[in-house]
Amino acid sequence: MELANIEKLLDAYFEGETSLTEEALLRDYFTSGNVAPHLQGYIPMFEGFSEAKEERLEKEITILQPKKNTSFRSWSIAASVVVLLGISSFWYFNNNAKGLTAEQEEALMAYNEAKQTMLLLSESLNKGASKVSYIDEFIQNTATINIINQFNETKNKILK
Amino acid sequence: MNQNEFTQLVLPFKDKLYRMAKRLLVSSEEAEDAVQEVFLKLWKGKQSIKNYKNPEAFAMTMTKNYCLDRLKSKQASNLKIVHSNYQNNENVQRTVELNDGVSMVFKIMETLPSTQRMVLQLRDVEQFEFHEISEMLDINETAIRVNLSRARKTVREELLKQYNYGIS
Repeated sequence: MELANIEKLLDAYFEGETSLTEEALLRDYFTSGNVAPHLQGYIPMFEGFSEAKEERLEKEITILQPKKNTSFRSWSIAASVVVLLGISSFWYFNNNAKGLTAEQEEALMAYNEAKQTMLLLSESLNKGASKVSYIDEFIQNTATINIINQFNETKNKILK
Repeated sequence: MNQNEFTQLVLPFKDKLYRMAKRLLVSSEEAEDAVQEVFLKLWKGKQSIKNYKNPEAFAMTMTKNYCLDRLKSKQASNLKIVHSNYQNNENVQRTVELNDGVSMVFKIMETLPSTQRMVLQLRDVEQFEFHEISEMLDINETAIRVNLSRARKTVREELLKQYNYGIS
């Protein structure tokens, strides 16, 4: 490339007015090893930029590791939820008369109460009934008395 | 998006992100951490990354923001980023291999203001178009040209100073 052209490009370059292709031309020129003596001061600049682009990230980037961590975390969360659910349901069913719902529970309680009352009622009824048996005895006894009276009557007749 | 697709999408520009981070943070370890951090963020937000028409520019913006935040927090806590690059054998070899002029360019770049540094990095090292740089850095193209011109001129001046000094 013509020297004059390079100089013109160089001026534009320092004004920030060159395109990428023009800058590529400059880079090629200054790294070609065939640079006009009065422009050799610029060589390190373009060499430096090319050199800077050679730098690589040596360290391995680990996106994998945190991903493993999160999956492990989510698994542990899932596991603990399952365990918690198991324990709580076990506790719930054990505590709660063999898996009755609240409504059934209430009905059962009402039934038990009614049963209790009926029992009480029948007890006092039985008490009353036991009193009735005395009357039976009394009636029997009066019957015996009647027989005795009859006996007396007949005895009186005979004695007359 | 699964991990494979994500890697396919993101890994092609990991070196560019790294170079950008290193240009800003100077320390290679800090730059590695920055890229790692940016990739983690990208992976977490992988659903939204597809919505961006240019994932590379998006990642570059994230890197820029992360690094500037780093620099800011370092400044706030009155600490300088201590880079231990020279302790790295490989880096020592590299600097030896590089001729003095080139390492001088790197040193000069470290002294530039961060915007100029980023613009120079993205344009002269990575060769992005102005509209791409504009998207990445969220500054308009005129401002980019101005920053670029200043950065290039500063590098030239400092370099010629050294060059003439070496000759005379």
